[in-house]
Amino acid sequence: MVNLTIDGKQITVSKSATIYEAAREAGIDIPVLCYAKKLLPYGACRVCLVEVEQMKGRLIPSCTTPVTEGMIVRTMSDEIRKVRKTVLEFLLVNHVVDCPVCDKGGECDLQDLTYEYEVVTNRFAGEKFDLEKDEVNPLIERNMNRCVLCGKCVRVCDEIVAYGSYSFINRGFETKIATAFDRGLDCEFCGQCVSMCPVGALLPRPFKFKARPWQLKEVDSVCGYCGNGCTVTLGVLNNKVETIRFNDKIGVNDGNLCVRGRFGSSYVNSGERLTKPLVKRDGQLVEADWDEALAVISAGLKKAQDGKGVGVISGARLTNEELFLVKNLASVIGTANLDHSGGECYKGVTEGLKQTLGVTASTGTFPQVEEADVILSIRSDFYETHPVFGMTVNQAVKRREAQLFIVGDKNGKFDKLPGAKTLLHKPGLEVNVLNALCQELIASGKAVTDGVNGLDALTQALAAYTPEKVAALTGVSAELIRAAAAALAGAKRSAILLAYGLPYTAQSREIAIAAANLALLSGNVGKEGSGLYLCGEKANSQGAIDLGVLPGPGGMGAQQMLTAAGKGELSALYIVGEDIVSSYPDRDKALKALAGADFVVVHDLFMTPTAALADVVLPAASFAEKDGTFTNAERRIQKVRAGISSPGEAKTDGAILAQVIACLGSSVSYTGPAALFAAVAESAGYTGIAYDQIGPQGVVWGGESLTVKHKNLIAVAGAEPVAGDYVLLTGSALHHSGTVSTRATGPNAVVSEGYVEFGSEDAKALKLREGDQVALKANGVELKLKAKIGKRLPKGVLFAPYHFSSAQINTLYKGEAAVAVQVVR
Amino acid sequence: MSEAVAEVQEEEIDLAGANAILDKYLDMHGALMPVLQAIQEHYGFVPEPCVHLVAERLNVYTSQIYGVLTFYAQFHLEPRGKYIVRVCMGTACHVKGAGRIAETIKERIGVGHAETTEDLKFTAEYVACIGACGMAPVIMVNEDTFGSLTVQKVDEVIAKYQKMD
Repeated sequence: MVNLTIDGKQITVSKSATIYEAAREAGIDIPVLCYAKKLLPYGACRVCLVEVEQMKGRLIPSCTTPVTEGMIVRTMSDEIRKVRKTVLEFLLVNHVVDCPVCDKGGECDLQDLTYEYEVVTNRFAGEKFDLEKDEVNPLIERNMNRCVLCGKCVRVCDEIVAYGSYSFINRGFETKIATAFDRGLDCEFCGQCVSMCPVGALLPRPFKFKARPWQLKEVDSVCGYCGNGCTVTLGVLNNKVETIRFNDKIGVNDGNLCVRGRFGSSYVNSGERLTKPLVKRDGQLVEADWDEALAVISAGLKKAQDGKGVGVISGARLTNEELFLVKNLASVIGTANLDHSGGECYKGVTEGLKQTLGVTASTGTFPQVEEADVILSIRSDFYETHPVFGMTVNQAVKRREAQLFIVGDKNGKFDKLPGAKTLLHKPGLEVNVLNALCQELIASGKAVTDGVNGLDALTQALAAYTPEKVAALTGVSAELIRAAAAALAGAKRSAILLAYGLPYTAQSREIAIAAANLALLSGNVGKEGSGLYLCGEKANSQGAIDLGVLPGPGGMGAQQMLTAAGKGELSALYIVGEDIVSSYPDRDKALKALAGADFVVVHDLFMTPTAALADVVLPAASFAEKDGTFTNAERRIQKVRAGISSPGEAKTDGAILAQVIACLGSSVSYTGPAALFAAVAESAGYTGIAYDQIGPQGVVWGGESLTVKHKNLIAVAGAEPVAGDYVLLTGSALHHSGTVSTRATGPNAVVSEGYVEFGSEDAKALKLREGDQVALKANGVELKLKAKIGKRLPKGVLFAPYHFSSAQINTLYKGEAAVAVQVVR
Repeated sequence: MSEAVAEVQEEEIDLAGANAILDKYLDMHGALMPVLQAIQEHYGFVPEPCVHLVAERLNVYTSQIYGVLTFYAQFHLEPRGKYIVRVCMGTACHVKGAGRIAETIKERIGVGHAETTEDLKFTAEYVACIGACGMAPVIMVNEDTFGSLTVQKVDEVIAKYQKMD
């Protein structure tokens, strides 16, 4: 620690602090333009100049100068005021000063400082730039005439996003910030640069001329897309979510968001939202009032109870409270047929972890990943499933020089991080590679085996997985397998990351077990700061697992329910917030199930292909319209808050479920959110956590490091490579999440339809160009898709995202790791 | 920059030279400048597909390379003429009529500052002092210097190069 004096105040701060940080900690305000808490110090703008007694004769930039013992700092004097004013005059020489039409007005740092320092005249005259606005993309407007060259956009895009869209180009007066070759922005569109810009040079286009900042009501909630659980602050005006506001003060994400979180909320305002209950009459869904719809449901479910039974399928974007009521509904109906999210992937993963470690959640928290010195990410497209978690990994690698290994079937963005090594394997062979890592740890004597069970059996089973053998089968070099195993074993703190979700069902139990074996043998389990991270696809995937929205004793899981319904062996399906036709593996099976069940109820926001086939469709509320809690992938329980009311007669799934339960002759009544959460906490095992305790940072159940119940090593077999000239992978694409994002204008503006991605080598061989139509043929199905050409896919491997219902990828994808396809031009 | 566009352009230029240069520098720390210089030496300018190739192989952002290329006057992103005509615009040359010299050159070869003739024969550059004030007004054509110029002398110099290949 270091002691210093700022404006006469005695302050003790960490020796790594800068003067600016020390002052802020002491509540002393120093103006800044180029400083941002999450970026490295830069010192570009010179408005944070201060006087330091020991460094007399010049002013010192407080944002880049580290504190030293006994330092005496003054943050304001006539001299400082004069110099800061001069700096502002310089900045205003070529600034356009078009504040009346600038969306930043009211929250512009330059405008505020100009006002505060009363810069009413300018002693300097110079050329104003008349640079063309970049409006090529639909999400981010760049007006470089307003730029103050603070470089925050350049830095955030490099340091945190690791995309590198921007650079300073030219020099001297002509210096400006531009993309490569000074073209229109064409990037991931996460909008991190927009959130960092201190002026109106970078603005969210969808928000242009919608509202002045002070008109907006700000509501802190949690993003409804993936399991990362980012804080999103809804900017609400007239019961409409107009924008997502920057907020780095609370939550897990430091104000970082991805394209979905920042630009993907517009679906809540969509004119296509369902606003009234719909009941099928004479084969047509027609509007009905709630009483009528509930009466039909009650009759339909009762009939099914007496018939061949009811199955309840839920999505994983419901709040914990709502999932609890889904469970309640199943018990009131008296069925053990209960499941969520396709039923396969999370099930395999949780079963695998239960057997090996006895827990079904991440053992560490996200901040620990940032401190890890070795990170192993399983599945290359981890970045695309949880982009902001990807940014956490970026920072660990770029700032703290963590060694990153990726076990993946494609070269993702992680592969480009400094020193990152991809163990690039043929599709579907994750387990083989993980087994080889375990084998190497045991064979080299580096394995940590204290307190583990089953070592001998595993050692025996892994004899077939020597690095050489696995290298020959998977294409990963034996040397790289050895290097990764050695790095993991030698790590002080390691993080093993595993993403799961609807499009990743194959071998999920085996992958989870192999990952857990690796975690045990590499000493990751139980080591302070190390963790195995299980990242669910949806906002409340973890909550659904914690609450046990799973088949009861003797009950059917989602896939079994669909099979049974398709054969006429299940009378009714009650589906809450899932578009099973569009998103589940095997579309045909889902369609048959919906046709085969006598009675189908669907809650949804939109008339999805699943809802269209239901007997009753109930209009549900979006995440922006409900209160409750989500549990994210690091076990953090956070509050979701309603910012707007639902359109028309739409209601939250919770309210609907309570009514349906009442109709069935039972009742749920809690005196308020705290009482309801208490019931949830009891059911989910969130012991000792009360609703009121859940503050801005949420509460992590099980503590920062979750203690495993046992350490069982279990042998699991790898797979054989999929034969075929071309194999198709499906999965998540960066810009989308599930199917609901395809209703949001932001993500759609970037990627609006399904596609099939080819590696450049295959594209060349097939003479394909971006946008060409190709047909994929397999199992008697032919799919026509637009071709996209990228550099990340190895030869013979194709990728098609699963989000787009109209692309019908799930007519080909039935849950396997990869599908052999024929490509026809 | 979408990868597809880069793809199309890659076909139009032989990247073997750039790849050979990159092979040599791949393990060097801070290789960007020497690589770009060698590429310019090889191609006469830095073609865009090479920039993408360098970005990929050195794992440096394309935007960052573009920043470097536009910062230094030594790099050229467009093809340049076989003969670079540098017209000195320094103080001494200015006084001695560099303006007229530049005008004459523009009339004869058809291009002005930082422009290149369509046949890629000449590139004109108006530069600050080239350090030969005693010979003002002075121009350089590639490595050759021509001083104490008059309009007529400039005509002769240009004519000489026009006749050459």
